[in-house]
Amino acid sequence: MFYREAGQFKVSYAADQAIFPIRQDQIGMAMILAVAYVVMPVAGSEYWLETIMIPFLVFSLAAIGLNILTGYAGQLSLGTGAFMACGAFAAYKLTTAFPDLNIIVALLLSGVAAAAVGIVFGLPSLRIKGFYLAVATLAAQFFLIWLFAKVPWFTNYSASGVISAPPRAVVGELYVTGVHATPQARYLFCLTLVAVLALLAKNMVRSSIGRQWMAIRDMDIAAEIIGIRPLRTKLSAFAISSFYCGVAGALWAFFYTGTVEPGAFDINRSFQILYMIIIGGLGSILGAFLGAGFIVLLPIVLSRLPLMLGLPISTATISHIEVMVFGTLIVFFLIVEPHGLARLWRIFKEKLRLWPFPY
Amino acid sequence: MAALDQAETPDADTREIGDVLLRVDRISLYFGGVRALNNISFEVREHEILAIIGPNGAGKSSMLNVINGFYHPQEGTITYRGKTRSRMRPYQAAAQGIARTFQNIALFKGMSTLDNIMTGRLLKMHQPFWMQALYWGPAQREEIEHRKFCEEIIDFLEIQHIRKTPVGRLPYGLQKRVELGRALAAQPTLLLLDEPMAGMNVEEKEDMCRFILDINEEFGTTIALIEHDMGVVMDISDRVVVLDYGRKLADGPPDSVRSDPAVVSAYLGVGHD
Repeated sequence: MFYREAGQFKVSYAADQAIFPIRQDQIGMAMILAVAYVVMPVAGSEYWLETIMIPFLVFSLAAIGLNILTGYAGQLSLGTGAFMACGAFAAYKLTTAFPDLNIIVALLLSGVAAAAVGIVFGLPSLRIKGFYLAVATLAAQFFLIWLFAKVPWFTNYSASGVISAPPRAVVGELYVTGVHATPQARYLFCLTLVAVLALLAKNMVRSSIGRQWMAIRDMDIAAEIIGIRPLRTKLSAFAISSFYCGVAGALWAFFYTGTVEPGAFDINRSFQILYMIIIGGLGSILGAFLGAGFIVLLPIVLSRLPLMLGLPISTATISHIEVMVFGTLIVFFLIVEPHGLARLWRIFKEKLRLWPFPY
Repeated sequence: MAALDQAETPDADTREIGDVLLRVDRISLYFGGVRALNNISFEVREHEILAIIGPNGAGKSSMLNVINGFYHPQEGTITYRGKTRSRMRPYQAAAQGIARTFQNIALFKGMSTLDNIMTGRLLKMHQPFWMQALYWGPAQREEIEHRKFCEEIIDFLEIQHIRKTPVGRLPYGLQKRVELGRALAAQPTLLLLDEPMAGMNVEEKEDMCRFILDINEEFGTTIALIEHDMGVVMDISDRVVVLDYGRKLADGPPDSVRSDPAVVSAYLGVGHD
């Protein structure tokens, strides 16, 4: 009734190929952006922005990165944490070595550094597939984290091994990292960067390069026979995926925790992001956001629910219940809809188109 | 785009059978001790429809796999457009204008019909990935230009109604048609069809025959196909090559092949005395 494209005729292929071809979706997206850009910074508390929204955005970006590699190109990877660490350490080295370098340039260059590392660890993908490739990327995970922890050059010979991100401004005195930066400035910077990179990712997956990735994922033999070069396509997926993960890692260190430490990017981080794309939906940019939202927000909601309901439960019990409910929900979602929240959303939209009729 | 115009204005005399396009010379292919192909030689001429027939296990699909670079024969040479080819990968064959379909459909199941056909066109798309990421200016124009071409294929194959449907949801006959569309999107010089009519009902077979003949006549595409339906083979092909146990039994126009005693014995199992 409300969600129907009746009467919206497309007269050009450009209109038909738009990201949101239906007007209701365009309005919805505009509303989400308005809330994110206006309502959040004005109404959101410091706690809300710093511990919920910024990590949500950083995780979304990392999940987009992994989704390009695993969801679109079909190459299973457990090295996400390591590629994020590459980005974080590259950003730290760049900002300390070149203090005048603009933070945006530094972030993009650290993404490029992560992409270069991603290409190297993507090379085995020509020969090995599936779980075996996952094990090969696991090597990247353990080796790189070990490297960053052991070689003091990466931490500028700091004694503790834990280093804080230096303060940097976008323009003039508008600090976005370090102690001077307001949560609003940090949040808006992250939001803009993530929104732009998400748009670029969406454009890639609906263009020729995205179709090449999906072709390799769906049927690699047929892909090669229509002219796709397997190694080049897989490496491009590794490079672009690692770029996104690298930028996400740099954002994590500079905008969320404020410190750069290898421990933040261990194997658990890789698994966490893998869960996000599985729950959110493999092969969907929207799914990356939904999955990140689910994994970041749900534990917070669960831990606060008993308090809000006024139930007299001890904090320790709450945290145990939280883990159990969280695990149960993941299993439940995977049984109900193995293709993730993004697929649920699509089914919901298809049903909504016909509502109130069943078909 | 010159390439697009070429397809839109078919030559009237494309059906003239021309020079040798592909020459297969004394090809032998082994898998361990199994001789899949044994000293096979034949030619494919420009603009013709060549059928490769033979009982199961005769080496027909292996022959196609050799032609498009998927298998590497141990002996013999393949000359394509006057150039003898060295060991090559399938994507190089695609770049030279050889497209194919598969016996058991090899579509990209997660993508829509339109995306599958657009993927078949990727060798004609040259924008770098950062332009595609910006989706602006030349990249968007390129995307729309190729969309137009793919829509022509969709019209030609009469699959407009399933344009946006994920191919995994389509019935078998339509999937076969989409796969043909994906091969056509590359505007191939030589089109290899591996059992394009297997498992189809009479109506679907008639449609497929019509498409194959139209492709051959309108675009002048050379077609080499494998098919088991003898009625179809004898009707649409200009020449027939018969394989059995990796050997070539016969090669010639349908009528002479039909009456060849070696072919009859291979198919009907006439006793040798």
